[in-house]
Amino acid sequence: MAAMLQPQIILLKEGTDTSQGKAQVVSNINACMAVADVVRTTLGPRGMDKLIHDDKGSTTISNDGATIMKLLDIVHPAAKILVDIAKSQDAEVGDGTTTVVLLAGEFLKEAKPFIEDGAHPQNLIRSYRTACTLAINKIKELAVSIEGKSLEEKKKLLAKCASTTLSSKLIGGEKEFFASMVVDAVIAVANDDRLNLIGIKKVPGGTMRDSFLVNGVAFKKTFSYAGFEQQPKKFQNPKILLLNIELELKSEKENAEVRLSDPAQYQSIVDAEWNIIYDKLDKCVQSGAKIVLSRLAIGDLATQYFADRDIFCAGRVAEEDLQRVAAATGGAVQTSVNNVVDEVLGSCELFEEKQVGNERFNIFSGCPSGHTATIVLRGGADQFIEEAERSLHDAIMIVRRALKNSTVVPGGGAIDMEISRYLRQHARTIAGKSQLFINSYAKALEIIPRQLCDNAGFDATDVLNKLRQKHATGEGLNYGVDINTGGIADSFANFVWEPSVVKINAINAATEAACLILSVDETVKNPKSESAQGEAAASAMAGRGRSGAAFGGRGGRGMRRR
Amino acid sequence: MGFQMQPYGLQGMLKEGHRHFSGLEEAVLKNIDACQELSVITRTSLGPNGMNKMVINHLDKLFVTNDAATIVNELEVQHPAAKILVLAGKAQQEEVGDGANLTISFGGELLRNAGELIRTGLHPSEIISGYTKGINKTIEILDELVEKGSETMDVRNKDEVVLRMRAAVASKQYGQEDILCPLIADACIQVCPKNPANFNVDNVRVAKLIGGGIHDCSIVRGMVLKHDSVGSIKKMEKAKIAVFAGGVDTSATETKGTVLIQSAEQLENYAKTEEAKVEELIRAVANSGAKVIVSGAAVGEMALHFCERYKLMVLKISSKFELRRFCRTTGAVALLKLSQPNPDELGYADSVSVEEIGGVRVTIVKNEEGGNSVSTVVLRGSTDSILDDLERAIDDGVNSYKAMCRDSRIVPGAAATEIELARKLKEFSFKETGLDQYAIAKFAESFELVPKTLAENAGLTAIEIISSLYAEHASGNTKVGIDLEEGACKDASVMKVWDLYVAKFFALKYAADAACTVLRVDQIIMAKPAGGPARRDQPAGMDED
Repeated sequence: MAAMLQPQIILLKEGTDTSQGKAQVVSNINACMAVADVVRTTLGPRGMDKLIHDDKGSTTISNDGATIMKLLDIVHPAAKILVDIAKSQDAEVGDGTTTVVLLAGEFLKEAKPFIEDGAHPQNLIRSYRTACTLAINKIKELAVSIEGKSLEEKKKLLAKCASTTLSSKLIGGEKEFFASMVVDAVIAVANDDRLNLIGIKKVPGGTMRDSFLVNGVAFKKTFSYAGFEQQPKKFQNPKILLLNIELELKSEKENAEVRLSDPAQYQSIVDAEWNIIYDKLDKCVQSGAKIVLSRLAIGDLATQYFADRDIFCAGRVAEEDLQRVAAATGGAVQTSVNNVVDEVLGSCELFEEKQVGNERFNIFSGCPSGHTATIVLRGGADQFIEEAERSLHDAIMIVRRALKNSTVVPGGGAIDMEISRYLRQHARTIAGKSQLFINSYAKALEIIPRQLCDNAGFDATDVLNKLRQKHATGEGLNYGVDINTGGIADSFANFVWEPSVVKINAINAATEAACLILSVDETVKNPKSESAQGEAAASAMAGRGRSGAAFGGRGGRGMRRR
Repeated sequence: MGFQMQPYGLQGMLKEGHRHFSGLEEAVLKNIDACQELSVITRTSLGPNGMNKMVINHLDKLFVTNDAATIVNELEVQHPAAKILVLAGKAQQEEVGDGANLTISFGGELLRNAGELIRTGLHPSEIISGYTKGINKTIEILDELVEKGSETMDVRNKDEVVLRMRAAVASKQYGQEDILCPLIADACIQVCPKNPANFNVDNVRVAKLIGGGIHDCSIVRGMVLKHDSVGSIKKMEKAKIAVFAGGVDTSATETKGTVLIQSAEQLENYAKTEEAKVEELIRAVANSGAKVIVSGAAVGEMALHFCERYKLMVLKISSKFELRRFCRTTGAVALLKLSQPNPDELGYADSVSVEEIGGVRVTIVKNEEGGNSVSTVVLRGSTDSILDDLERAIDDGVNSYKAMCRDSRIVPGAAATEIELARKLKEFSFKETGLDQYAIAKFAESFELVPKTLAENAGLTAIEIISSLYAEHASGNTKVGIDLEEGACKDASVMKVWDLYVAKFFALKYAADAACTVLRVDQIIMAKPAGGPARRDQPAGMDED
């Protein structure tokens, strides 16, 4: 009986998956390295793109680290951290997402042999943190400020930063063209630093070169009613009225009811409804506005009424477009047509409706407050334009950050080599284990120039040795990989620049992530509350770590790739 | 589990499907095993060099933490005896807010040692009496170990606060305590009321914003709301603030009703009167001097229109708690209905502005002068899990501040106290005559868990460290603990590692209580779980070993 009743110790819920120990650390590292391998080849100007086909059947072509990571649908809990840092890099600086994943992967790769040899992860973590602080201080020291330059000069410098970013993207071939466009857009928005004030509109067709920048707002023609064609489509210095109401025949209030005792009154009620709408329209006209935009519908009655009076109108304008128009033209969105004073009306130099591709666009240009800009992107395929939009977003973010922090560092792997050299030098002064650890941190930083070479098809060892030699002499701290010749070149002189904040944030985030992954020695996965569903995910995770080194070598087992 | 045999005794009395274990072997030792399993999970997280755990809870949320309270919370412990240990940990978390790991690990160690004693033949009741004597004596000794002169402290002195907070924060975020502690101390001191005993943990807020790194963390005197303002006005300085809990909109009737319109005139004027009414209300608010309107619910479009017209900044705070804190920060009285506020119902803030931090737009409400109400620690980090973990470290820090406001006594940290307790308690056990002297000796031995784990987690040889610690303590250096940086023994007062007396007191007490409770159980009866799908026969999962 006793044998029969021998109770199991059910400490945790059924289906709970736990794994612990050194093997767990190693398995987490392997998973992260596998993820880093996915994005590895996208780094740099010669990086390759990835085509991701998701379960909904839509295709994305991208070499933006954050986009790829987001679409990978990673389930491994440790590898998810890499997705998080890519996202955070995207939010904080907008570019360098591949860099941050790659660095984190490399830090872990360097740490792996130490862990396997029995070094305590906490010792590694402490050294990595020290190295990170040193590296960041060094970047700050090396950074070149662009503060205090004239606007023209600043523009030129910012364009360099933008083109460095763009050179690694699909539209790299037209980087000068787009760089200046991006800089103009950001400078236009300038002080009121809000990303959504820069609109990007995509119109398939034409070539990249047909893309243009509107110093104001542009949006696609909205749905229109009969009478729209009779409206004038071009204005010089018009006044613009922005509304948030429907200009249509409709009941005033949902829960209002009309009850009549005298049938003769019926006509008066009908008239009243017409009066209300005419009254509204009249007020719009009286305000002196030549263009009426509304977030809600503008019906056919109103359209024809406005057409008769040479007024342009557009209903159902997207909220963000309307906000942009408001910011650009200096108007304010009105929820009532009563008491429209002059100051809530916006104005611009030129309004016109223009054919772009096979779409018609409403374009407001020469806006007085100039707080907005819109980039109209042209290009062949849908995926192409999508990717171009992502690239421009990165470039815009970079320019914004450069403008805010105004320091730049040489790109092309130059700064990474220099920090690496500096850390190695520093490591020599340290007694004890952390010398090794900091050395390996320094080595991990070399991944950036090495990967640049690999992706471009150069002999990485050769180029790296040249770089090391150059940096060791103490004069060549600006030397990085020259992507055009396969040799090395002074990145600073060649205008390969990045804002320092990109590098600082990348190193910071990568170190934090690496430390976090190193510090985890146990995973406990509870069954999902909906039960059964969780099985697949649970089995994808590494099994019980305590069973030893059996799965030490199974890299990235937990990650599903699609 | 099969119950095919004839039911008899208890079996016959109870409903089919219940489970029932009794006796030393079946109940006591199994309970002990279960508790030990639990403490093994948390043990490696003890101390500054503790490892993190990755816990994925049933909602698929990922936690990366070494905070024992969080771990056991998300673990969904099922075993009834292990649950007692979890409850002890939770009690500690609620009482002191720190030291939950010590409670669970120490409780587990006590039980492990009790298991050994049971196997050598002692009866649980003797162990219980020994443990009870042990904990009483421990508390006496602990009193003696309190650092002289630490009974009184100035809770507004940042250095003293940091000194006492350091160990608690360092055990969560080692290597970053020098950055975090001053931040936490500043935040706490800012909101500390006149009578420090009334310190409210809720007044120190944490705002987590992704991006940047730990060096970018900062403190705001006031609040940080994680959303944008509603209207187009994004900045207001030295503003009076009106708070409306019920929303800023035309009031609709709760009762379903229909508006009856009887003539054309009424129909035409219907909209106009509504508009006029809203304008009148907003004008009234604007006339009262308020520059910022805060709404607890929806902001009507019409109302927003007039707010813009009268240049009022509009904020929407939909969380009731957040709104209450906002009122506390600004000193405003939340009005239920949109109406003209009295001057004394208006709040005040030095500045209310919308800023972009790391791609997120946040509203920062600053109140420098009257700032004894709410302060916010703005945390930056690259992933959600890092931020969550930082937040837990901050919570621990703030809780220790609360604890030190009530009782500022400190004891040496870094395992110095534990070794001293072990040594003294062992001496005490020799004086006892009964069988419980073995239990007391084991109780003393259990204290070695702390230095042992600290050393192990730091990659040091535990045996060496413990023996040299004993040697130091025997020669009278009672404050010597482990220096994890150098891997040697060092005076805790030199290293400035101090633990709060209350934290230690409650942790040991709860652990001993929990251990005794578990030991007292000799029979477990589990009723058949109601409803739901039938259990699988062989529980999958852990413990084949």
